Amino acid sequence: MFKLFPRLALAAALGLLAAAAAVAERVTITVATFPDLDRAAKAAVPRWNKLHPEIEVKVQSLQYADHHAAMSTALATGSGLPDVVALDFRFLGKFAESGGFDDLLQPPYAAGPLREKFVRFTVPQATNTKGELIALPTDIGPGTLLYRKDIADKAGVSEAELTQSWESYLEAGKKIKAKTGAYLLADAADLRDIVIRSGLKDGEGIFFDRAGKVLVEGPRFVRAFELGRAARAAGLDNKAVAWTNEWTASFKQNRIATQMMGAWLAGHLKNWLAPDNSGLWRSALLPGATYASYGGSFYAIPKKARNKAAAWQFLQFMTLDKETQLESLRVLDSFPALAEAHAAAAMDEPVAYLGGQKARLLWKDIAAKVPAVLVNKYDAMATDVMRDEFENVVSHGKDIPKALADARAQIERRARR
Amino acid sequence: MHAPRSNAVPAADPVAAAAPAAPAAARRRWASSRAVAPYLFIAPFFVIFLAFSAFPLGFSIWLSLHQWEPTAGLAAMRWVGFENYLFAITDPWFQRSLWNTLWFAVVAGVPQHLVALPLAYFIQRRLKRSRNLVIGAYFIPYITSSVAIALIFSTLYSKDYGVINAALQALGGPGDIDWLGDAAYTKPAVAFVVFWRYLGWNVVLYLSALQVIDNELFEAATLDGAREWQQFRHIALPLLKPMIFFAITLTIIGNLQLFEEPFILVDIEKGVAPSVMTSAIFMYRLAFSDGDFGTASAVSWILFLIIAVLTWLNGRLFQRDGGRHGRG
Amino acid sequence: MVGADRRAPVIAYALVGAGALLLVAPFYFSFVFATHPRTAIFNTPPPLWFGAAALSNYELLLERLPFWRNFGMSFYVASMTTALNLLLCSMGGYAFAVYEFRFKQPLFALVLASMMLPAFLFMIPSFMVMQFLGWIDEPRALYIPGAAGALGVFLMRQYIGAAVPPELIDAARMDGCGEFRIFWSVVLPLVGPALGTLGLITFINAWNNFIAPLVVMRSVENYTLPLALRSMQSPNNTEWGALMAGSAIAMLPLLVAFFFSARRLVAGLTAGAVRG
Repeated sequence: MFKLFPRLALAAALGLLAAAAAVAERVTITVATFPDLDRAAKAAVPRWNKLHPEIEVKVQSLQYADHHAAMSTALATGSGLPDVVALDFRFLGKFAESGGFDDLLQPPYAAGPLREKFVRFTVPQATNTKGELIALPTDIGPGTLLYRKDIADKAGVSEAELTQSWESYLEAGKKIKAKTGAYLLADAADLRDIVIRSGLKDGEGIFFDRAGKVLVEGPRFVRAFELGRAARAAGLDNKAVAWTNEWTASFKQNRIATQMMGAWLAGHLKNWLAPDNSGLWRSALLPGATYASYGGSFYAIPKKARNKAAAWQFLQFMTLDKETQLESLRVLDSFPALAEAHAAAAMDEPVAYLGGQKARLLWKDIAAKVPAVLVNKYDAMATDVMRDEFENVVSHGKDIPKALADARAQIERRARR
Repeated sequence: MHAPRSNAVPAADPVAAAAPAAPAAARRRWASSRAVAPYLFIAPFFVIFLAFSAFPLGFSIWLSLHQWEPTAGLAAMRWVGFENYLFAITDPWFQRSLWNTLWFAVVAGVPQHLVALPLAYFIQRRLKRSRNLVIGAYFIPYITSSVAIALIFSTLYSKDYGVINAALQALGGPGDIDWLGDAAYTKPAVAFVVFWRYLGWNVVLYLSALQVIDNELFEAATLDGAREWQQFRHIALPLLKPMIFFAITLTIIGNLQLFEEPFILVDIEKGVAPSVMTSAIFMYRLAFSDGDFGTASAVSWILFLIIAVLTWLNGRLFQRDGGRHGRG
Repeated sequence: MVGADRRAPVIAYALVGAGALLLVAPFYFSFVFATHPRTAIFNTPPPLWFGAAALSNYELLLERLPFWRNFGMSFYVASMTTALNLLLCSMGGYAFAVYEFRFKQPLFALVLASMMLPAFLFMIPSFMVMQFLGWIDEPRALYIPGAAGALGVFLMRQYIGAAVPPELIDAARMDGCGEFRIFWSVVLPLVGPALGTLGLITFINAWNNFIAPLVVMRSVENYTLPLALRSMQSPNNTEWGALMAGSAIAMLPLLVAFFFSARRLVAGLTAGAVRG
């Protein structure tokens, strides 16, 4: 009768062993990231635990610059690296060239066909000069012109006037200054940065061409400096650099009429920059039909990571999972890089802060039209040099051709290797 | 260690506490242990020092002769000899940063001592009940966190909303100085913060040195008719020489490596940043922005040379004046 | 004569007092800001008096960081560093001040030299050393290297050289004291103020150091306080109120350390001195 018993016992023992093995196989991966992006990872963890209980995710967060310095340090010695690394766009070029991250086009990742799932312009950003795809994008910043409708109305300026061309934008700014006293923009440098990026086509670089030649004496740059100087000369900017106290205070004090920035700025305005101004802002295209993107975040897997299979699972979860991308949108106001997420119903929602405008549809369109520009590891350095020369032009009256020539010489000097 | 300090000179308590030993044999023992003693005293320090500082020092020298982008791993170091040094010396940004650094060293450094010395003397001689409070007040900037300093000073210095501009306006002056945006004003503004931060530190150093000076000296001088100022100049200052040397050396070393205050007050992305860019900030940019650790190391060694020379000069200055600062 | 001397001090007192207020102001503001919500901090004019958001800032802070754990780590590391430093640096400074020995000059020059290089260049080689020792993510990696502070040796050498007359040491030797005994019982009691200063400075520097933990610590529970507070800072979305609350609390131990050592620093008007 109870030959069953030994079999039951055996089954129970086997069951226990299997359970023990499953628990023993529980893998822990570390994800190194920085604020504010860490909130996206932390928000995703509960859902992750339900779908992948066998992989535990530890999120390690450090300040923005500290994080990238720590990653540099770890890569330098090839040790102490986490399993998944979050990289900001500003540092991406450098890390991409480093050779410290796995090429996701190779097996076992085979991410080749996955590239189409993302907004077009993000892919070359994560591809290095050897053609390796070292990271996948998780969020983007479609460039938009956020403007105060009430200030514009008071000055008798329409959205069309603001966005038709750079010249009309500046003219509108003069009207705004005259009628309301508000500044057109926070910093003439913002203007310079966007005009530099105008008219770029797929495959072109901002500061360097494909061969590494420095482009800063070209017409884009001349125009950018001229317009910036004109804006400063007409008193249209508050000389407040983004994210400084001066800048944040300007919003609260209703002194800024427009701000060119990534779409995610609307979220910040709502949360803390100017919560009282809800309903007064609108989002529009950048003047002169310029399509550009601000920043962006990516995830990569270091070559020396220990749990690559689990890391890859998590990477896909953060970048290719529609629900996770939309969750980030809700939590962080970060705009998804996944094209599929752009078709979601959430995109149709009116954005209350922007007076009920269906801004996400606009941002989706902008994202699709941003050109896929080439990224160079010296882009950050070139940005610094341009900033310095621009300051010489607007504050010290330096001649533009001379400034640009000096800029080219500086960039060539520093990019000598 | 908690024994009250005695007024009497030599041969009091400590000796009575020691066990007397047989003279001849003991003397032999002392002679050899005396020779070895200094090495034993510095040994623990140097063991740790060599283990944790020597390697990084050597690595840094080695690195300055190579080109290296750290994210590419150790194997990516490429020998370039003195190219990094040449590049740095001929670099306009480095030259400008050197000028800025020296400017800060003088403008922020000199007042620190000019004010701290008389202040420490004043506190030592004149304040009794409020002494700790006053020292504390002056010392507080040194312990204020960088985050607080960055936030609060940028609020105080704000062009449109700052308290300083508001006060100036109330006094009839211009009320819209862009303290942290206009190159002409930003440098002094940052220099003031450095002065603010380290004044108390120097006061504490000088105060601790003043403890060594016998008050009877001052009392005797007062009885002789010497005024306060004369006592300060002729009694206190000469006896403070060893500490002044120490404090000034630290100021030289610290100011020539000035990084934190300009870095936290003026965002590196601001147009005015180059006018407060010190050599240490330039080094940081080279390392973490340009990815050029080799040149950054070279710059640090060039800076080191300058600091070493200035420190040596400082030492000569104090030695020539015959300041007694102990043996060796 | 006496009257003239007494007048000047009134102005002096006033100046000193005004200076003190000016210097304390930012510190005061950091506590004020800690009690306001983020949006209020950037108001014009900025808040001048305490607000009501202290508790909510504190709760937000605890939500974001294992704050008290980081506090504990900072306290442990800073205390160990200070204790070790006091011992090793006074020994080292004593040797340099009092003895003549071979290599004295070059060794001291080496000590001084190490102070002249900026810390962040040491990040990578330090990391390599810690990897090699297997001390990554351990507090040891913070207080053991910190036990050999060049500043401490320099300070003690200067102070001992000034405060301890050679005759005292010779006399002690002749009376049969061993070398270490001389150090411990004769010299150390005389350099109380320097020890107080050194202890204070070491504690503050160890407490505020964030580069060393950045290199060595891998998990947020093991971060020291400044590193943890920094990790709350986002380029564009920092919770300023909570951050200021954390910074304010982080400054309190330093204030306590100061008052603790101030008693040692200030000997009072009647205290004697060694040399006349």
